[in-house]
Amino acid sequence: MENILLRDKVAELEGYFAAGGYRALKKALAMTPAAVIDEVKKSGLRGRGGAGFPAGLKWSFIPGDAPGPRYLVCNADEGEPGTFKDRELILKNPHALLEGMAIAGHAIGAASGYIYIRGEFAAEAVKLEKAIAAARAKGFLGRNILGTGTDFELHVHRGAGAYICGEETALLESLEGFKGQPRLKPPFPAVKGLFASPTVINNVETLAAVPAIIERGGDWYAAIGNGKSTGTKLFCVSGPVNKPGVYELPLGVTFKELLEKSCGGLQEGKRLKAVIPGGSSTPVLTAEEAWLVKLDYESLAAAGSMLGSGAVIVIDHGQCMVKLLQVLARFYHHESCGQCTPCREGCGWLEKLLNRLESGRGTKKDIDTIVSVAEAMMGRTICPLADAMAMPAISFVKKFRSEFEAHAAGRCCPPDAPVKH
Amino acid sequence: MPKITLDGKILEVDKGTTVLEAAQAAGVYIPRYCYHPKLSVSGNCRMCLVEVEKSPKLLTACSTECADGMVVNTASDKVKAARRDVLEFLLINHPLDCPICDQAGECGLQDYYMEYSRARSRFPAEDKVLRQKRRALGPHLMLDNERCILCTRCVRFCSEVTKTAELEVMERADHSFIDLKAGKTLDNDYSLNIADLCPVGAWTSRDFRFKQRVWFLKKAPTVCLGCATGCLTEAHHNEGEVYRLMPRPNAETNTWLCDRGRMAYKSLRAGDRLVKGFIKNGLIDLEPALREAATRIDEAKGAAAVLGSPWLSVEDNAALALLAAAMKTENVCFDFKFETGIKDGILINKDPSPNAAGAALLKAARGGLGLDEFRARLNSGAIKLVIAEARAAALLKDELKASGARLIAFATNRGDIPAGAYATLPYASYFEVPGTFINYQGRRRAVEPVVAAPAGVKPLWEVLNKLAAYSGASLRLDSAADAMKGME
Repeated sequence: MENILLRDKVAELEGYFAAGGYRALKKALAMTPAAVIDEVKKSGLRGRGGAGFPAGLKWSFIPGDAPGPRYLVCNADEGEPGTFKDRELILKNPHALLEGMAIAGHAIGAASGYIYIRGEFAAEAVKLEKAIAAARAKGFLGRNILGTGTDFELHVHRGAGAYICGEETALLESLEGFKGQPRLKPPFPAVKGLFASPTVINNVETLAAVPAIIERGGDWYAAIGNGKSTGTKLFCVSGPVNKPGVYELPLGVTFKELLEKSCGGLQEGKRLKAVIPGGSSTPVLTAEEAWLVKLDYESLAAAGSMLGSGAVIVIDHGQCMVKLLQVLARFYHHESCGQCTPCREGCGWLEKLLNRLESGRGTKKDIDTIVSVAEAMMGRTICPLADAMAMPAISFVKKFRSEFEAHAAGRCCPPDAPVKH
Repeated sequence: MPKITLDGKILEVDKGTTVLEAAQAAGVYIPRYCYHPKLSVSGNCRMCLVEVEKSPKLLTACSTECADGMVVNTASDKVKAARRDVLEFLLINHPLDCPICDQAGECGLQDYYMEYSRARSRFPAEDKVLRQKRRALGPHLMLDNERCILCTRCVRFCSEVTKTAELEVMERADHSFIDLKAGKTLDNDYSLNIADLCPVGAWTSRDFRFKQRVWFLKKAPTVCLGCATGCLTEAHHNEGEVYRLMPRPNAETNTWLCDRGRMAYKSLRAGDRLVKGFIKNGLIDLEPALREAATRIDEAKGAAAVLGSPWLSVEDNAALALLAAAMKTENVCFDFKFETGIKDGILINKDPSPNAAGAALLKAARGGLGLDEFRARLNSGAIKLVIAEARAAALLKDELKASGARLIAFATNRGDIPAGAYATLPYASYFEVPGTFINYQGRRRAVEPVVAAPAGVKPLWEVLNKLAAYSGASLRLDSAADAMKGME
C-alpha cells in the first residue's frame, strides 16, 4: 500500500502543499473540536511513542471547562535505543507534523504548542524551525490561521541529552527549565501538565498521522492494520540485515515479511538468533517466537513483548547476549534519573553484575541475582525506566540462560560467538 | 467522605486524605523515608508501597488519595517483599559505617532493616559507589553524601520552608548527590532542622557530632526561651549535661526549631557561666557578695529601684515584686512593651524576650512604673541603685551609665551583664530550675528542670530571699511557687 507518512517530495512546504497538504487543517478548523476528536477516536490511532494509548481518548481527557491556557506538546525526544523513525519523519515530512499539531491544537483548545526535540537532533531542529517559518508565512500557523480566528503558535525546544526526558512528565519538567525527572501521577498532564495547565503530549509519528485521518476519515484509517492496531507504523530495523532502515508498513505485518520483503533478509552467512521488537526496553523474542509474530500491539503483547516504538533490533548468532545486555545495562544505568530507589540503585547493580559475568568473573549465582534484582525493580517506580531495564534483563536471562551460564563457567558463549580474550 | 478498607479495618476519612495518613490515624504504621507531613510529597523512596485492590502495581501510600471503596493491604507478602527490596537497594551503596556514625541508634536504615528486612548482603563491598564524606556545609552542618539515600527531604525543606533553596540533587542515577546550588551557602536560620529531617546519617550537626551516643541520652521536655515564640523543645541530656535541643513538634506553636534556639543550652557550660558573685570586677563567693549588695541597697533607701524582667519566669518576677515591697520602694517596673509577632514567617519573633506577657501579669497585679517613667527617674537622679536581671538592665544601659546609678545585677552568664555593674549575683538557669513563661500567643508554659545547677548556684527566688534577709527583711520564700504570693 501507499505510504501515509514517509512520502517523497514533501520535505518542503511547496511540495507538501502541492500533494494536498494543509487541506486537512482547513477541514478540521471548520469542524467542532469534539468532531475532530471523534474522527481521531474512530480512526483507532494509538500513541506511537511506545505506550500505545488511544490518541483520541487522550485528547478527550482535557477538561472542557478548565479556565486558562492548554498546551499541546510534541515529544520528539527520540531516545529509545534502536529507534530512529521520528528523525526520518521530521526530515522527510515535517509539515505533516506541523499540520497534525495545528489540528490537535484546535481539537484540545490549545493556542500554543511545543516540539521538544532531542538535543542531538540539531539538523532536524533547524529543519523544523524553517518549516514552521514557512507555514507561518502562509498562514497555516500563528495568529488567525487561514482567517478562521484560531491561533496556534508553535515553538521548538531542544533537549539537553537525557533519555529520561522522553518520558512525558520529565519532558514537561525539562521544558519548564527544571531537571528532567518524571512527576508523580496523578495529577496527569491532561489535568495539570505544562506550566500546571491541561496538556496533551503526543509522539511525532502520532501527530503526523492526524492530517490523513482528518482528510480521509477515521474509518479509512481504521481499515488499515490489524484489529485494534490500526493504521501504518514506522519500523526502524537495525542489525545484520541487508537493508536496515525505516519502513512504513501496516500494523500486523509479520516479522518475516518485514525482514524478507522490506529489509532484503539477513546478511549472507548470518543466522537469526533473537529479535527485540519494539526498542531496547521491550522483552527480547527468540528467533522462533519472532519469525511469524505479527508486529502490532496485541500480537506482540500476546507473544510476551511489546510493539514499543517500533524499533526492531535484529540479533544474529554472532552476537553475545550477555554483552548485549551489558550494553543495555550501561545505558539504563547512565540514564536513570536517580529519583526512585529501585531504579537508581538497581540499574547500577545490574550493570556491575553484567560487567562481572561478561568479563568471565561472574558466578552462576550472579545470574539468579540479575533476575531477582530486575524483578525487584519492576513496577515499583514513578516512571517505566526501571521496567525498561528490568524487562530485557529478565527476558535475556530467561531465554538465553545457557549463554549466561557459559560466561559464569568462564567460557565464551555458544556456538559461534566471538572468541573472548 | 470516602470509606476505605485498610488491613480489614473499615476507615472513614476526609476527602483528600492519603492512604499513609489514613493508616497513621488508624494506628497502622507504614514505613517511609521521603514522606514528611510538613513537606511536599515526592514519592521517590518507594518505601511506603502498599497493595491496593484492582491496581496491578503497588502504590505509594504517601501519594495515593483514599477513594471510596478502596481496599488497601499494608502487610501482604507483596508489600513485605517490596520493603525488603527497597531496603536492599538503599543499603547496597551505603557505607555501613554505623560504628562511627552519629545517626546510629536513631537511623531510619538501621530501624527499618531490623523491622522489615534482616537480609544478608548480596553486594560485594568493592562494588560500592564512593561519594564525598565529611563535608562541612554552613556553620552547623556536616554532609556525608555516601550515607545519603536521596530522599530529598533536605532539598524540599530549604525550598519549601525556609524558601532559601540552597540545596539540589546533582547528577543522575547512583552517582546522584546532594550539593549546594552555585553561589549559595547553607546558613539559613533553620539549617539544623535538616539534621533532624535526614532519616539517615547524611546530615549531622557539627555541634553534636561525636559528643554522645544517642542511646545514652535521656529526653526531657522543655521550652525555648530564646524569643517570645516559646517553641516547645526537648533537651537531650546525660549525666547532668545537655547535649542537644530538638523541637517537640506541636500544632500550636512549632514544628521546627531555629538554630539559635538549639544553641541555647550552650550557655549552661559556657566559659562565662557564673557560679560565684562579682563585686565590680572582683570574684567573690555568693554570701559576701549578697552582704555587700544588701549594704548598698540599705544605703540607697528610697532611691533604690527594682526592675522586673521579660527574661525571668513569672515566679521570679513575683519574687522581685516581693523584694520591692519589702524594701518599701515605689521605684518598681514590670512594663516591657516589645512588638510581637513572627518576623520571618517561620518562628523567630520580633520580641526577643520569652516572657514580656508574664511580666505584664505583675504589672497588672501590682502596678508600678511604666518603663519610660522608670527611665526618667533614672535620668533625673531620683534612682540611685537598680536591682535587675542582667538582660533587662541592659535595656537601660545608657541611662545607668549616664546617671551613675549602681546596678545590682542577677545573671547566669557574665556576657549578659552590662558594663559597670556594681554587684553581680549568679542564679540558676531555667534548664536547672522550674518556671512559668507566657509566650506571644498567651500560652502559659511550665518549664521543668532538665539538669542540676552547678554547686552553689541557687534559683533566683532563693537569691532574692537571701538578699532580703541580709537587709533585715524577710520574703519568707521556700519555693518558686511560694513567690507567687507576689502576684497578690
